[in-house]
This record gives sequence, structure tokens and C-alpha cells, in this order.
Amino acid sequence: MSTPDRYSRQRRFTGIGPDGQRRLQNATALVVGCGALGTHAIDALARAGVGRLVVVDRDVVELSNLQRQSLFREADAEAGTPKAIAVAERIREVNREVHVDAHVAQCSAAWLAGLGVRPDVVLDGADNFATRYLINDWCRNVRLPWVYAGAVAGEAAAMVVRSDGPCLRCVWPETEQPADAATCETRGILTAAIQAVSGFQVAEALKLMVGAPTTAGVFTCDVWRGVYQVVGIATEPAPDCPVCARGERPALDRQSVGAVTLCGRDAVQVEPPPGRLLDLGRFATRLRDVAADVVVTPHLVRFRADGARFSVFPGGRALVFGVQDPLRAQALYDRWIGS
Amino acid sequence: MDRLVNDPARYLDHAATSWPKPPAVRDAVLRFMDDVGVSAARGDGARCAAAAAEVDFARRGIASMCGVPTERVAFCSGATEALNLALRAVLRPGDRVVTTAFEHNSLVRPLLALQRERGLSVDVVPPTPDGDLDPAAVAERVQGAPTRLLAVSHASNVTGATFDVAAMCRHAREHGAMTLVDACQTAGHVPIAVGADLLVASCHKGLQAPPGLGFLACAPGVLLVPQKQGGTGSSRARAEHPTEWPQAFEAGTPNTLALFGLAAALRHHGKRPHRGDVANARLRAFERAATGLPGVRFLPAPARRRLAVTAFTHARYDAAELGAIFAGAGFHARTGHLCAPWLLRHFAAEAGVVRISLGHAECDDALPELLALLRELSAN
Repeated sequence: MSTPDRYSRQRRFTGIGPDGQRRLQNATALVVGCGALGTHAIDALARAGVGRLVVVDRDVVELSNLQRQSLFREADAEAGTPKAIAVAERIREVNREVHVDAHVAQCSAAWLAGLGVRPDVVLDGADNFATRYLINDWCRNVRLPWVYAGAVAGEAAAMVVRSDGPCLRCVWPETEQPADAATCETRGILTAAIQAVSGFQVAEALKLMVGAPTTAGVFTCDVWRGVYQVVGIATEPAPDCPVCARGERPALDRQSVGAVTLCGRDAVQVEPPPGRLLDLGRFATRLRDVAADVVVTPHLVRFRADGARFSVFPGGRALVFGVQDPLRAQALYDRWIGS
Repeated sequence: MDRLVNDPARYLDHAATSWPKPPAVRDAVLRFMDDVGVSAARGDGARCAAAAAEVDFARRGIASMCGVPTERVAFCSGATEALNLALRAVLRPGDRVVTTAFEHNSLVRPLLALQRERGLSVDVVPPTPDGDLDPAAVAERVQGAPTRLLAVSHASNVTGATFDVAAMCRHAREHGAMTLVDACQTAGHVPIAVGADLLVASCHKGLQAPPGLGFLACAPGVLLVPQKQGGTGSSRARAEHPTEWPQAFEAGTPNTLALFGLAAALRHHGKRPHRGDVANARLRAFERAATGLPGVRFLPAPARRRLAVTAFTHARYDAAELGAIFAGAGFHARTGHLCAPWLLRHFAAEAGVVRISLGHAECDDALPELLALLRELSAN
């Protein structure tokens, strides 16, 4: 081994040990999303010596990311470097023993199908539930464990989804998603909440890679109120879960049209994730403080944000003007309208 | 696949493609899938004979519609392929082409590509202020300089205005120009035997066949060189590509699936003549009522022999916004540039229009409901 002392402290930890360290160095982790959760996880996994990291993100680094997303520098924001690329460059400086496959892409059914490597674990760094349901379906298909994590404002939640236990849909069926799920753009996000939940997520991922038992239940925290807990959940899949009980893969099957560029226009139409109904009035109320030029009519809500102009319609369909790239429009949609 | 418009009365995009197709078309497609499966002239036996009979029926139907001998109809993947073929076969380096601001990108784009490739001069006749195409203006351009080709749409895909292309073709021929007519919007709605040298249409709009089928009908005596070569099912022993119509222009496996649908659609139309006047009256009533609404502006078109197509803009809404609001109410209208960039620029509608187009479907009139929605949008 070229750097014998590098992992000595981690090897000394009984939960990992020399065997566990070897397993980590032979392991592959897929991290979906290189935002706040993704970059914290990637940094920790790379330092821990996970042999191969596959990272995917469709977005570019922006100045407002730097407050909570580790690994990125001001120069990345100025250059508008794709997040996946910036991550790969930084990890090379952190630990050159780690191989990073960087993908500037949307994590879609097609992208997952063409992945080409089989990871040992998947870490959720997505900023929307549509992608999480997709990860959930795919991991069920290929029998892989994954670790869900999400955060908004000072609150966060995480959970290990094992291939033989309840899935994300068993715990949060699509119909029970809040109708106007908050996004970090409208309610803000505290880096401490990210770090609290990232610690749980990374530890569970390490356990999965070394073969140690994982934590059962949902970790939740509110770092501002100082409440940290693991809430127990059923150990068996829900009897009415479409994925576990009926063998369906709703997110994989529905993954076709999300965003389409309009004919001859500098505009993209984005469809809301299936099963979600946006309450236009409540949405407009949330927007008022954070977006510009907000116009509300019974038929649509218009606003400006991130250099683009949005028209949002009842139910959640949206037009994003000033953008031609469907991926960019989808990212803006997820950021401002949520999913 | 949620939120599909399954109410035929709310499907308002027949100028793009007709829907639903007659049940007989669906049955014919299934019959091909279930019982036939093979191409005509690709083997012997009952299956090939069945395929050949249907293709022949479809070809006869189109030929009589276009006023050309049966063998002078070549089927292809669509009007776009037919237009590309016609333009590439006819135009030589330095040729002059007269065309119009009403043309669709399926003609505009191959023409502009050929203009760069072969140094053509392209003269575009603008619309009259009331949205018509003046045969005298076209004649003047054709006469103005030696012209190889007059390429003109039978009708606007944006406004539904139809043009007197028969007179234009007659005049052009007298002045030594060849004529190419794009009948995509009119085929299946109004007579299209206009005396053009080359007549092109798609089969999935007014003709109600499945998508993936179009044709080029060529007048007798007009010489055309095939632009692609390949297997034709005929003259198999010969290495050289055949020169006879229509095989010369049908290289490759034909879309027999859609041809079965076309044959069925033609039989269906034979039994139930098209009631274009009903759709037209409905749309004109909608136009009259919507014309006064604040912000609404219809693109102009002459009343004479108009198709059931109309397009408008709104001062306070982007066309795409209106499209999304209409879609939210279950309507399938069309918004954007409609592949007619020249016309939209001419009528200062670069931001796009909303197009409403009706077709054959015998269904309830949903336009009053759309009008009420438009009225509400214009009021607040």
C-alpha cells in the first residue's frame, strides 16, 4: 500500500477494522446529486477511502451554493463549473486513491439503465422527491440498499432503505407528500442541518459497505430546536405499497417527459412530478418574499428568479422563459417550484 | 402518461394530425399486424397478394384524388421526405425559385439548404394585408425572371386560408416554370387536383391515415430522378436501381402498416363524405365572438374557401401560457411558431400564436367552453 498511515485511525475503529477498510477500498458508492448533502457525503466517503465514487448532477456551481455545499470554491461559481466536474477535481486533491466517475446529467431512468457499474450502495443527495422515488424503484429492481436524506430550513431526515425492508414509498406514499412541499429556496437551509443528517447518512453507508448492521427507523433532527431522534417504522413493507406489494415501478415507468423545449422559443415547459397537485394560491404566498415581479391570477402565477421568468399553472405545470436547456429548466423548476 | 386529452371534442389540433382516426383505420392497422405482416412484392403467396391489393387500392385512391395516373404516385415517409425529394430532383445550380411566405419548414428548410448548396435564388411572395396570397403577385414574380420552380402551399397551416393554386400553376406552366404544390393541409378536406407538376401531401392529417406516410404525385411527362436507391421488390435480379414509377421512388421497406390504414381511411371517406362546413361554421362562430375580446388578435385570412383553422395572439399572455391554461382545461390546442417562421414574422407574431384547428371528428362543440375561458382570461 502506497500510503500505509492514511487510514490508520479509521482502521483502529473496531466497527471498521482492517477488513472493513479493505472492503471500503474495493467498494463503489453512487451519490445522486452534488448539492449540500451530496458534497458533504462525497467528501466524507473520499476521505474514508471508498475506492470508487460515481457522482451525478445536472447543475452548475452558483454563488448561493457556497454557503452550504462543501468542496466548491468561488472560482467554480464564477466559472459556472458543472458540479459533478468540480467535485471530481476537488476529490483528486483530497484523495488521489479514490476514482471518481463524474456525470453531468440528470439522474433519469435512462441514465441509471446505462450506468455500467454496479454500486454497493446509493446515497441520496437529490433535492426532490421525484428523483428519490426513482432511486427507490431502481434500487428495488437491482436489489441495492440506499440511504435517503433530505433537509430544509433547520430540519432534516434520513433513513436506510434495505432491499428486503420497507421502501421509501412504504414510509412516504406519493399521495401523502405535502401538496406544497417546501424547498430550500423558499424556506432556506442551515448548513448545520445538512451536517447533522450527513453524519447519519455517511455512517449508515459505511456500515452497508463493510457489512455491519444498519440503524432501523427514520432519523430526524431539528438543529435549531436541538431535537435529534430515530423514529421507529414498520419492519415489514407496507401491504398496499405499489413497489413492495404489487411489484410496480411507478417512477421508472413514468420517466419520460419532464421538460420539453418549446418550438422556436427560448422557453421550456416542465411537467410536475406525477401525483402532485400544487396549490397555486399557497405557492404564490410563499413566493412573495423570495422572488421578483410576482403576479397572481386565478389561472397562473408569474415570477422572476435566477434570471429566468416563470409561469406556473394550477396543478404545477410551468413554463420557464429565458432557458433553452431542458435540464437547466428542470433544475430551476425543482429549486423554485419544488417536486 | 397522465392527463391525456381523451375527449375528441377538445382535441383542437387536427391541422397537426387528425385524431381520433376512424375505427376502420384502427381495424386495418390491426389486420395488418395480426394477419398480413409482409410487404407487397416481397415474395409470393397470399400474404404478399393481400398487401399488394391494399397498397394498390391506396395508390389508386390518391392518384384519382390528385388527377394523375396510378403509377405516378410514390409513397414515402411523409410530406417532408416528398418535398425534399421533389426539390432535390428538380433544382439545379443557379436556378430561380418563387415561393411564398406561407410555406412550412418542411419546404423552407430543404429549400434554404439547397440555396446554400446549389446557389439558388429564392423569391418569397409576401401575403396580402388580409392574409391572402394574390395570384397576380405570384404571376408577376414568376414572369419577372426565368423561373425553374414555383413552390406553393395549397393552404396556410397557420390560418387555414386556401389559395387559388390552380390559377398559379396554369400561369407558371405557360411561362415555363415547373410547379410544386404542398397540399398537406387540404388533402382530405377539399379537392387537390390543381394541375401541379408535383403534388405533395402527408396522409395522417385530413386523410386520417396513421402517421409515417406521405406521397408525391407527379404529372405525366415530368421527368424526375430518384434521390435515393435501394431495394424495391421489383427487378430484383438487376443491380441498377429501377427507373419506372413508382418503384424508382420507393426504395426500402414501405410502411405497409400505414398504407393499410390509408386504404381503410379512403374507403371510409368514400362512404361518408366530409362535412367540413360544420367544423368551419363552428370555428367561424368562435372567431366572431372572440374577435372583440380585449387583447385577442386573430391573424388575418380571407373568408373564401377557408379551412377550419384559425390562429390568434393575446396581448397579455404568451401563447405558451394560453396553451398551458387551455391544456389545464382539457383542451389540446397548438401553440408556438407552427413551423411557419416567415408568416409569423410577417404578421408580427414572432412570440408565437395559439392555433385552433378542427377536423373530421363528429363530436360535440367544445368551442363555446373555450370561448368562455378566453373571455375570463381577457377580462381579469
